[in-house]
Amino acid sequence: MDQTEPISKTHHQERVQQYIDDTLAGLLNAMTDANGSPSITLRRRSGNVAFHINLNSGALETTDTGSLLTYSWPGKDCFEAWRFTITLRLLTAIADAIHSGLVVSKRDIYYSDPVCFGSQRVVDVLVDDIAFTIGVDRASLNVEAAAKGLVAGQYRLIHPSAHAVEARISSESTPIPRMQETVGVNISDIEWVLAVYRRLVGSGYHNTAAAGKGILITGKGYPDYSTRGFIRKLFDARSQSQSSRRPQFFALVDGDPDGLAILATYKYGSMAAAHENSQLNVRGLRCLGLHMSDVVAGADPCGDDTLLRLTARDRRKIVTMLCKNPVFAVDGPELDWRAELQRMLMLNVKAEIEILYDQEGGLEGWIDRRMEILKKLD
Amino acid sequence: MALRLFRSSSSIAGQWSQLLQNASIAPHAFLRPAISLQIPGILSDIWESVLRAVPKKKTSHMKKRHRQMAGKALKDVKNLNTCSGCGQIKRAHTLCPHCVETHPSDIFSLAVTEKQILSVSGASAIQVHSTTNPDFPLVQSIDGAHKAGCHHVVTDRKGSRAVSVGFGGEILVWSCQEGTWSKDDKVPVVDGRGPSDTWAVALSEDGQYLAGVSQDGHIRVWDLDGHAEQIRDYETKGSFGTCIDLSLDGRFIASGHENGSVYIFSTESGRMPFSLSGLVKPVRAVTFSPGGKFLAAAGDSKVIVLYDTSSGEQVASLTGHSAWILSLSWSSTGEYLLSGSFDGKVKVWSIDTKTCVATHSETEKAVWSVKWLPKVGRSEGFATGGASRSISFYREATGG
Repeated sequence: MDQTEPISKTHHQERVQQYIDDTLAGLLNAMTDANGSPSITLRRRSGNVAFHINLNSGALETTDTGSLLTYSWPGKDCFEAWRFTITLRLLTAIADAIHSGLVVSKRDIYYSDPVCFGSQRVVDVLVDDIAFTIGVDRASLNVEAAAKGLVAGQYRLIHPSAHAVEARISSESTPIPRMQETVGVNISDIEWVLAVYRRLVGSGYHNTAAAGKGILITGKGYPDYSTRGFIRKLFDARSQSQSSRRPQFFALVDGDPDGLAILATYKYGSMAAAHENSQLNVRGLRCLGLHMSDVVAGADPCGDDTLLRLTARDRRKIVTMLCKNPVFAVDGPELDWRAELQRMLMLNVKAEIEILYDQEGGLEGWIDRRMEILKKLD
Repeated sequence: MALRLFRSSSSIAGQWSQLLQNASIAPHAFLRPAISLQIPGILSDIWESVLRAVPKKKTSHMKKRHRQMAGKALKDVKNLNTCSGCGQIKRAHTLCPHCVETHPSDIFSLAVTEKQILSVSGASAIQVHSTTNPDFPLVQSIDGAHKAGCHHVVTDRKGSRAVSVGFGGEILVWSCQEGTWSKDDKVPVVDGRGPSDTWAVALSEDGQYLAGVSQDGHIRVWDLDGHAEQIRDYETKGSFGTCIDLSLDGRFIASGHENGSVYIFSTESGRMPFSLSGLVKPVRAVTFSPGGKFLAAAGDSKVIVLYDTSSGEQVASLTGHSAWILSLSWSSTGEYLLSGSFDGKVKVWSIDTKTCVATHSETEKAVWSVKWLPKVGRSEGFATGGASRSISFYREATGG
């Protein structure tokens, strides 16, 4: 990004600090007052809101300002008291993290008292709600998910301090680097970036591809913030690079509803965290596959047995995506993706990337050919 | 060339090592003593490529002529005319690509009436084109009918009622007044819950009865002249029902399922008169012949199977498709059967000879729906729609 980011970051943390201080002070005042009722107010993202695609940033956004939700203590029932407690504990954990300057993971927070929190998901949602309430991204809370993504390939991280440049040439797959303390990346040596499922990362394909050197990234299913943030940084580096050689950005996903939802998450952002999408979406990402027409090709090279039937959940998920997500809407940006979902419903089949192993040249050969075709289309 | 050789080597003794290092000069330098041709200067630069050239496999003039006389050569496209709408040149009997706004998504289903063709697609609109005009103009577009897209549309024979099923699971009933369609309030319901998982539908000839097969394999019949109440519910083994058809006389309902089974129910007795052998792989189309004598079924096994509806015996199987067969349609006389497949091939089969009499391959994309058009005078024709996102019209049964 640009040089102003570290400043805005400390600015964000000040806001977080301010919010926590205000909330705790308010609680203490209410405690000492005889008639006071201590309460915490959070702004929640409401479940049923309209989403749209921002034409400038290409990100999935919502006009939702959230609804206010107040937990007071002792509250009217057991549930409210519990919500109040865990919100307070979470605020404490965040305050600790910011004071000490350390980054804690959501997992750490949950395991500090699993009985109290109940499930990991409760923590995840609440952290996002707090970030949304304060109006900052989650990284500013010094809370992040345990890194899930992996990367293989060659890139250089640029640190803000003293212009340090850190070269990473990983032939093995390594965890996605944390982007908070870097200003940017330099990817002048590579031809392509491919977001893919996990088994290819670690095969060394980033060095052996016909299209030249590249970077392989996996989010292991739905990508987390750090994986998406990393690809976005790479993409920004591409836009800023002066050289004529611009790496291409691809994604290879399963031919099932989750595959297309992952694709949409990379390119436009997720519906769950619409307030952070404009920082994380990758608008130049292109879909390499897997299309229904690849697997149900004329002569059926793969045979029908490799195709799977859609489950009832798959069908429900597709219908929800078609109706709710503007990415797949009839006036949306990705009519081909929409058609792909509908073809799945029509044929009632889905396909996983594994079936490409039987292709000529294996999965790598197939990707080589597909990149070649897409390059010609440019 | 000789000049260059001398220049690159300082002595005769050093010449060989120089030559070996420079592979591109090597071939003709070695060849020269053996052939010793006088190469004119103009040829010297291309001589190497002349030597390396290998004769290509050439089709003789006679063979080409034979193919041409047999009618297999490439032909000029002569069936062009000007679009009455925009004046640009287009292929005859196809929609003008310049002025007709076709569906922006795959066309999943076609339905024909005497004067119109209805098409539904992954977009939300239902489009109605007139088939009486040779340019097939768009006469109505019902926008926003199905938000998630629509996969089936059927009409009765006279064109007064249509039913469409959307990807969201909704069934809409449409009625036609003087060529204009409007939505009917009738909603076929299942056990008072709404038609949540009905997939394929068929309308009886007079439009009174609607038959539908659901994702859990139930076959249901609704009476649309009444309050769209459900009057029949046949249960099968629970495999996804992909297709359904009603015989013209209304006596039989046939359904095809994902596990390959094909069922026939008698609407009078509510029983299966006989069990059919079915196919090995998913069935994607079933259809009764106009006379009701045959039932055709096809799907992923790439063959079309004909059953005799009086005995349930399999009487023929038509092979020739090399991809999944997605749609079938009988001509009005029952003479010809039309099939469309996932690789874009459309075939016309003669039922007398049980052979394929014409193959059309205008596109490589899936053909989701094929439909014969009503006979106009002596000429017969059909329409196809699919992933190419346009409707193609063909005249004459044997095509060409």
